[in-house]
Amino acid sequence: MTDVTDVTETETGTDSGGAARSGRDLSSAKDMIVCEGVSKWYGDFQALEGVSATIKEQEVVVVLGPSGSGKSTWIRCINRLEEHQEGLIVVDGVELSNDLRNIEKVRSEVGMVFQQFNLFPHLKVRDNVSLAPIWVRKKSKAEAEEQAQALLELVGIPEQADKFPGQLSGGQQQRVAIARALAMEPKIMLFDEPTSALDPEMIKEVLDVMKNLALSGMTMMVVTHEMGFAKEVADRIIFMEEGQIVEVGTPEHFFTNPTEDRTKLFLSQILA
Amino acid sequence: MTAPTNQASSTHEAVSQRVPLWRDAVVVKWTAQVATLVLVLASLWFLATQAGDNLTARNINIGFDFLERPPDIQLSEGIDTHPATGGRALWVGMVNTLRMAIVGIVFATLLGVVVGLARLSNNWLIRRLATIWVETLRNIPLLVQIIFYFSVLAVLPRVDMDTGPINGWLHISNKGLAMPRVFIADGFYQWATVMLVGGLAAHYVRRRRVDLHNESGANTSPVLWSLGTLAVFGMVGLFIHPLFGFIEPIMGAVASLLDSLPILLPQVLLSATAVLLAGRWIREFLAGRRSAVGHLALSDDDYFRIIFTAIAALMAVTVAIYWTGLSSWILNSGSDLFRVIETKFNVDGAARPFDAMRPDIVKPGKFANYGINGLTMTVGFAAVFFGVVFYTSAFIGEIVRGGILAVPKGQTEAASAVGLHRSQSLRHIILPQAIRVILPPLGNQYLNLTKNTSLAIAVGYSDIVQVGQTVYNQTGKTLPVVAIWMLFYLATSLTISVVVNYYNVRMKLVER
Ligand SMILES: Nc1ncnc2c1ncn2[C@@H]1O[C@H](COP(=O)(O)OP(=O)(O)O)[C@@H](O)[C@H]1O
Ligand SMILES: [Mg+2]
Repeated sequence: MTDVTDVTETETGTDSGGAARSGRDLSSAKDMIVCEGVSKWYGDFQALEGVSATIKEQEVVVVLGPSGSGKSTWIRCINRLEEHQEGLIVVDGVELSNDLRNIEKVRSEVGMVFQQFNLFPHLKVRDNVSLAPIWVRKKSKAEAEEQAQALLELVGIPEQADKFPGQLSGGQQQRVAIARALAMEPKIMLFDEPTSALDPEMIKEVLDVMKNLALSGMTMMVVTHEMGFAKEVADRIIFMEEGQIVEVGTPEHFFTNPTEDRTKLFLSQILA
Repeated sequence: MTAPTNQASSTHEAVSQRVPLWRDAVVVKWTAQVATLVLVLASLWFLATQAGDNLTARNINIGFDFLERPPDIQLSEGIDTHPATGGRALWVGMVNTLRMAIVGIVFATLLGVVVGLARLSNNWLIRRLATIWVETLRNIPLLVQIIFYFSVLAVLPRVDMDTGPINGWLHISNKGLAMPRVFIADGFYQWATVMLVGGLAAHYVRRRRVDLHNESGANTSPVLWSLGTLAVFGMVGLFIHPLFGFIEPIMGAVASLLDSLPILLPQVLLSATAVLLAGRWIREFLAGRRSAVGHLALSDDDYFRIIFTAIAALMAVTVAIYWTGLSSWILNSGSDLFRVIETKFNVDGAARPFDAMRPDIVKPGKFANYGINGLTMTVGFAAVFFGVVFYTSAFIGEIVRGGILAVPKGQTEAASAVGLHRSQSLRHIILPQAIRVILPPLGNQYLNLTKNTSLAIAVGYSDIVQVGQTVYNQTGKTLPVVAIWMLFYLATSLTISVVVNYYNVRMKLVER
């Protein structure tokens, strides 16, 4: 019964050019990520210029923008792979400052998936996933490996546990990377162009895993050029250019009647 | 050799039409292989006879008899400073070289890793200092450095008959450093037996603690526990070691048994080992060549390998059977070994496993010097040691730095992103990957260091080169001594290479 309803809903959503989830009301949900006037410089060059946004619990936000617009820089500031110089970033109530304890706390709550997978090539797939739970969460090896196996099952590659990353296809590697991030039981998942390094036939398997993750209620921030994913899964789309947020809106608004000229230009280029 | 050739080409003829012999790939290959082998053997034979003739013509004696004759040599240091024969003198030199190389490799590695990490430090001052260290040391010739350290150390005060600091337990002078010598005494072998049992126990304890950790996740510190077990055995062993006197008759019985065995036994065993090894090699080789369909696809080269292996096994069997001296030597050395062990356990209960001796100072002639009681580090040793260690540490530092930088930045980021601390990331992610880049050039540095110890000749440290030079100056046997040098350095270098390669292969990343 439920399956049928789901399918119809999705279809109506696609027809109207909007998304199935855009109707969700998350206004009463808790704030998971709060950015206020975040600025960042690389030497003289300003990569972020006063970025402000709030992401709610369970919300899925897709960040779009041309190359070099600061998407990666922003997302990497949220788990302190980069340090912002001005403004405020609060993740689940913890402010990212120079306090090392806060940085550790945030990093263990935020999972990240990279464009280049960045799996640990000298460790088996299973150990890639269980390493952090063992050393950071101090789980027993048996428990961590059991969890790793369950996560590999979740991302659809339980049979690859004993292989090394170099023996896997790109799509499989990226799914291992997702499992590795999930092993820390994060409250938020960040994705920086997770499918950009993949061959076309592997993109879908990774996007499917991400969709399921979104459906399970994970708070997600996704930088991607996959417009289909954005339309179908995103609650909100943030469009960036030259280090600034240009436009924010539901997929429906964004793909049918964007207000800003720069957004229209970008969409015409990317959809052409 | 010809039989398989015909066979191989005839099978080919069956499928294709007749090819002229000189264009038949199989014939050409086999001929080339056999010709190369014959050529190499012939050249070696020619060179050897020529060299022999030339040397006799010029009246140069290349005999090694000087190894057995008493030399007139006094060595500055080593396991024996008044060697009874030339061979013994060279042996002392070899031990001195190996001693320097091993200690040098250990300290150069430790220092080099520190220098390499310091070069990557976030701390500006540490980074600068490390850079200065590297740039200075690797740009000054090692020989100059060794002489420099030697002359600096020579400025230290003369050794005198005074007791020295700490009640005479420590002396520092222009003759070097003298410390108490701790040495193994009569009770050592019983104590070592206790420790052997202790080692097994420690291994078991470690496994138990690891299992416990895997079950509960609690920190069970397995390494500490196993070290503790070992320490307990070591302490208890100091008191109970005389209990192991019973090993003496057992060893004696084994020795007598070996004495009574017929020579046929080692002959048979050697032959069987050779045949078995060859057979196993061939079987594994064939298994490796088995194609998916199940039949063997062997190339001509494969046939060569198999045939050569078989010939080698055959030669080994022949040697084992006709050279009876080898077999009796094995039996005799075996029984000798057990006799030696037997006497080691033949001590009374009061014997201590270890003993220490205070350094002494003697004055045989006009000048005082350290005696043989203490553990002395001569100025010569120190100069060579600091020379090779500092010099090599600069290169190892650069290798370590390069290895760490070769690990992609994404690895550090991924490690931070999953919450690992800096030290955890270094230990679990960065170093295990860097080591793969570091190992091959590191092995090179070990080889360099070992060869560089020959500069000891500049400061009179009695290494193999210095001793060898003295020997041939006295006997005129330059060629034999040089041959011994070359063989020694070759054997040492090959050993290091094999060890480094072994780790290198084990560390390889699995791809595809
Ligand atoms: N480490 C860095 N050093 C200097 N400039 C950088 C660095 N990383 C990014 N930038 C610059 O910052 C800008 C934003 O980069 P990025 O966040 O990677 O963009 P995007 O991910 O949207 O393509 C780009 O102009 C880029 O050249
Ligand atoms: Mg980017």
